[in-house]
Amino acid sequence: MPKLWFVIKREYLTRVFTKGFIISTVAIPAFIIGIIAFQFFVAEKQPARTQTIAIVDEAGQLGNLIESLLTKQKLPDGKPAFAVVQIQEQPRDPQELRAHLTTLTRAHRLSGYLWIPRGILAGEKPQFVVRNPGAFMTLETINHAVTNAVIARLLQSKGVSVQNLSTLLHNADVRLIHLTSKGESEEKGQIYAVAIGMATILYGSLLMYGITTMRSVLEEKTTRIMEILISSIQPFELLAGKILGVAAVGLTQFLIWAVSAGLLAAYGLSMARTMRPSDSGFNVHLPPVLLAFGVVYFIGGYFLFASMYAAIGSAVSSEQDAQQLQMPVTLLLVASFFLFSIVMSDPNSPVSIALSMIPFFSPILMVMRIALQTPPLWQIALSLVLLALTTLGVTYASARIYRVGVLMYGKRPSFIELLRWLRYS
Amino acid sequence: MSLGAPSDAVVAEGISKRFDSVTAVSKLSLSIRQGALFGLLGPNGAGKSTTLRMIMRVLVPDEGRLRVFGQPLTSSVQNMIGYLPEERGLYPRMKVMEVLVFLASLKGVPESEARQRGRVWLDRLEIGAWAERKVIDLSKGMQQKVQFIAAVLHRPQLLILDEPFAGLDPINAAIIKDIMLEMHDRGTTIILSSHRMEQVEMMCDSICLINAGQKVLDGELQTIKRQYGKNTVRIEYCGDESFLDQPAIIERINRHGALVEAKLRTGADPQEILKAAVERGVRIRRFELVEPPLNDIFIEKVSEGHA
Repeated sequence: MPKLWFVIKREYLTRVFTKGFIISTVAIPAFIIGIIAFQFFVAEKQPARTQTIAIVDEAGQLGNLIESLLTKQKLPDGKPAFAVVQIQEQPRDPQELRAHLTTLTRAHRLSGYLWIPRGILAGEKPQFVVRNPGAFMTLETINHAVTNAVIARLLQSKGVSVQNLSTLLHNADVRLIHLTSKGESEEKGQIYAVAIGMATILYGSLLMYGITTMRSVLEEKTTRIMEILISSIQPFELLAGKILGVAAVGLTQFLIWAVSAGLLAAYGLSMARTMRPSDSGFNVHLPPVLLAFGVVYFIGGYFLFASMYAAIGSAVSSEQDAQQLQMPVTLLLVASFFLFSIVMSDPNSPVSIALSMIPFFSPILMVMRIALQTPPLWQIALSLVLLALTTLGVTYASARIYRVGVLMYGKRPSFIELLRWLRYS
Repeated sequence: MSLGAPSDAVVAEGISKRFDSVTAVSKLSLSIRQGALFGLLGPNGAGKSTTLRMIMRVLVPDEGRLRVFGQPLTSSVQNMIGYLPEERGLYPRMKVMEVLVFLASLKGVPESEARQRGRVWLDRLEIGAWAERKVIDLSKGMQQKVQFIAAVLHRPQLLILDEPFAGLDPINAAIIKDIMLEMHDRGTTIILSSHRMEQVEMMCDSICLINAGQKVLDGELQTIKRQYGKNTVRIEYCGDESFLDQPAIIERINRHGALVEAKLRTGADPQEILKAAVERGVRIRRFELVEPPLNDIFIEKVSEGHA
């Protein structure tokens, strides 16, 4: 039996049969579900207060029209979305009026005021002046109302009667139909939910298992058992055993999550069928191919990040030093988390394609793209090749740093020193 | 040119190790015959641990050649070596037996075998009851014993002990010493390092003295001492110590309480000291002409080097 095997076995057994593993296996999905549920809750509840506004119409003949359109809007609980307390058409002293309304808004007497400029029909932009910047949530509604009012005015000026405005200006309400491998499904955000869910799980587990690897190396250093280990086994074998052992722990956790999620979904589906047989409901589409890619990219990304984290663990002698030295690596992971909104808005834009090729980002961003809209196979293949090559290179460099680092105690080395270690024979 | 005989357990030829600007070991050559109980001696920071680490392949020499049992340091050679590093350490949250089994497995011992041998050793060192406890629950002395067991469990042919008695109480030090002598009798080659020369000079049959990374002196202990002759008087006495105040005869005195070791000047007659003591009414319990202690040889050799 190769020595590597015993290192993997020890690493695996001492991690899986611990309270920490059981807690994280339960707590992480609970946390993710909690965050998602909270966002849904907030999204439902947020603009739940009637906004008190004033309308100033410098152009004239628009204010009342806008008011009638706005006050038709209802909040989820049935209350009107807007209460228009004042409409001023063609004010004599706009400056003074604006100052007055600003004072009222600042004093919380108004949520804000809508300012329609004189040249609106010629394309001059209206303004919605508010105290709370979060009001952009309602901007679409206001935009819609003002646009419709302007259209009505233009039609009127062309001699079209607008007696029954609502029939003329009804909302078409476009539905988004997503083409899937099995046909068509109405997109109500479930594909985004899957993509964000996958990205979050990948981000969280790459970070968690990367740091676990770093801690594990550091523990062997601080407890000084490293010297005994190195006297029995090659540093590279020890490093490989550690990374593989922690990977096995991660995959075990994934397996537990996948099986329990599958069971829950099956249970939920059967419950839904008995309760409301006709309603297909919120149809989450999670193809096995996507899961397989998730696992492949997790493994690739894990080897890439874990070997960097392991090198850092080997280079320092204390947890505090590790905290500082790991920052650049952790930032690479955090960056891909922040970049994913770019990918989400247009998964096939040149920027998204480029980002999903960069090996430090591809484990998260390429999986997102696959979840959103399957990219051409060559792109997936290229990103995997780049990821594999980078992982090999980084692992090689990490192993060299590790070999020197494991027996170095004392002051935290700088990055320059780490690079110098690469050249040690 | 090869220094050692084919039967040597360890042969080092001109090995050096530098850390940045510091040279820890400089062109050190030594050979350790199989079955020897070899002492690597020197003051703190002399390069003892670095030398042992190179023999263990924990560190790779910058230059020079190392052979263990006539071979370069491969993985199978590593399995024949047991190592107790100066910096002790075990996995604190693993059970004692699990740690022993794991470390033995890295030396190629099957699990059931390791478990069985581990039990025998733990019982012998009187910590059998702690086998299923976590390492962190053990006292420091007990952890040292576990560490020692880890070094010998795979029945190494070469046992390297870096400061084996550091931090042990006299009772446990005696237990470890007995085990070492027993293994020595069975033919195991043992290398031990110490900065306390008097502690090991009675055990070792051959030694190497190093200072500032360089060899000062090496060889069979008896041969070395014979070279220096019986130029030291060991006196145990009770009373006024003024009889020792004879710079014409005595070159240097080491005091250990009621026992002194006086190094004689060349050609001096030790009887003169005895005569002076009797004249002053000092009670002599012991008066013995001996070979110089290693400590003195070391000091002499090092000061020669500086002169």
